[in-house]
Amino acid sequence: MCDTCGCGLTSQKREVVSLNESLLRENDRVAKKNLEHFNNLGAFTLNLISSPGAGKTTLLEKTFEYMPKDLKFAVIEGDIETERDAERIRQKGVHAIQITTGGACHLDANLIHGAIHSLSHKFKEDGLDMVFIENVGNLVCPATFYLGEHKRVVMLSVPEGSDKPAKYPKAFLTSDVFIITKVDLLPYFDFSIDEARKLALSINPKLKIFELSAVSGKGMEEWIDFLLGFLEKKKD
Amino acid sequence: MHEFSLVQGLLKRAEEIASKKDARRVLKITMEIGPFSGVVIDSFVFAFDVLKKDLEVFCDCELEIRQPRPSFYCPQCKKEVELFGTNEKERNFLNNLSSFIARTCPLCKEAILSPRGSDEILILQMEME
Ligand SMILES: Nc1nc2c(ncn2[C@@H]2O[C@H](COP(=O)(O)OP(=O)(O)OP(=O)(O)O)[C@@H](O)[C@H]2O)c(=O)[nH]1
Ligand SMILES: [Mg+2]
Ligand SMILES: [Zn+2]
Ligand SMILES: [Zn+2]
Repeated sequence: MCDTCGCGLTSQKREVVSLNESLLRENDRVAKKNLEHFNNLGAFTLNLISSPGAGKTTLLEKTFEYMPKDLKFAVIEGDIETERDAERIRQKGVHAIQITTGGACHLDANLIHGAIHSLSHKFKEDGLDMVFIENVGNLVCPATFYLGEHKRVVMLSVPEGSDKPAKYPKAFLTSDVFIITKVDLLPYFDFSIDEARKLALSINPKLKIFELSAVSGKGMEEWIDFLLGFLEKKKD
Repeated sequence: MHEFSLVQGLLKRAEEIASKKDARRVLKITMEIGPFSGVVIDSFVFAFDVLKKDLEVFCDCELEIRQPRPSFYCPQCKKEVELFGTNEKERNFLNNLSSFIARTCPLCKEAILSPRGSDEILILQMEME
C-alpha cells in the first residue's frame, strides 16, 4: 500500500526497521512461563548440562538414593531418541517424563512447557519439591536455551579432560553450579582439578564447584546438602 | 548444530515483522552475535542460506553478522582490560577463543581476567520493501 494516500498502489520504498531484540526472545518468554509453573508446583528446578556420558543419569539415580524419602521429585529427560534414561529413573521410584527431541541436540522452553502441563496435572494436589531436567547430552547447544530453571548445572567428567571449560565457555558462563564427575577415575587420567577449576572460575567467578563420584559416593553428601539447602530456603 | 533451530526462529520472527509492515520482500537482516554466544558463525550462515530458500519473502535476503569484540574484566584492577588492538589479532581472537581464557591481566600481572557479556544473539535491523 502506498503510505501517503492509501490509493492501493504498491510502492517500492525500502524501509529499515531497527529492532535490537534478542533472537531468544520467544524462547525466554515461554521459559518465564515455565518458571511460574514450577513455582506454582513448589518445585525447585535444576537444568543439567554435559557432554554425552558425563554421568547425568547416574548422578540423578544416586541422588535419589541419598535423599530423604518424604521428598517429592520428578525428572524431565531430554534425549534425541530413546526412553532409556527415563526408565532408569523410574526404576528408582521417581516420576520421569521423557521428551524425545527427534534429532534436535538441545531442549528448548517450548518442549519443557509440554512436559510441565503433564507434571502440573499429576502433582496438582501434593505439589513437588524438586524437578531435575536432564538436557540432551551436548556441551554446546543446550547452553543457549533458558528453560525456566532456578539453577543451571554444568557437568564435566574426568575422562573428558580438564581443558574443556576453555573450549566450551558458554556452558560455564551461563551456569550456577559446576560438577566435576567420576573423580574415582582421577588416578587413571591426567585430569587436573586445579586447571578445571581455574578455567571455569575465570569464565564465571560465581560458579559453585563440586567434585564427586556417583560410583564411590565421594562428594555426594556435600551435593545433597547443597540441594536440601534450597528446600529449606523455600520453606522460609 | 543448534544453529538450524536459531535460524528457524530468526526467519519466523522476521516473517512476522515483514507481514506486520506489509512488506513483500526482506532484503537484508543484520545480526550481532557475540564471541561467547556458542554460535558457530559458518554454521549459522549455512543454515540461513539453506532455509531462506523455502520462503519467498527471503529469496534475495542478505545476512550481515557483526561480531563485537569481547571485553575482559580484571577483579583486582577493578576495570575492563583490552587484550588486543589490531585487526589481525582480533580475527585471531575469534578463531582462537579458548586461548584467551584464564589469561593473566596485562596491567597488574596477577589476577585472572574474566570475559564480560559478549554472549548475546541479537537481531539488530531489517531492511524490506
Ligand atoms: N567410574 C565412574 N563411572 C561413572 C560415574 N558416573 C557415571 N559413570 C558411568 O558413565 C557412563 C555414562 O553415565 P550416564 O549417567 O549414562 O551418563 P549421561 O550423562 O546420563 O549420558 P547421556 O544421557 O547419554 O548424555 C555409565 O557407564 C556410567 O556407569 C562415576 O562417578 N564414576
Ligand atoms: Mg543420561
Ligand atoms: Zn546443536
Ligand atoms: Zn589487573
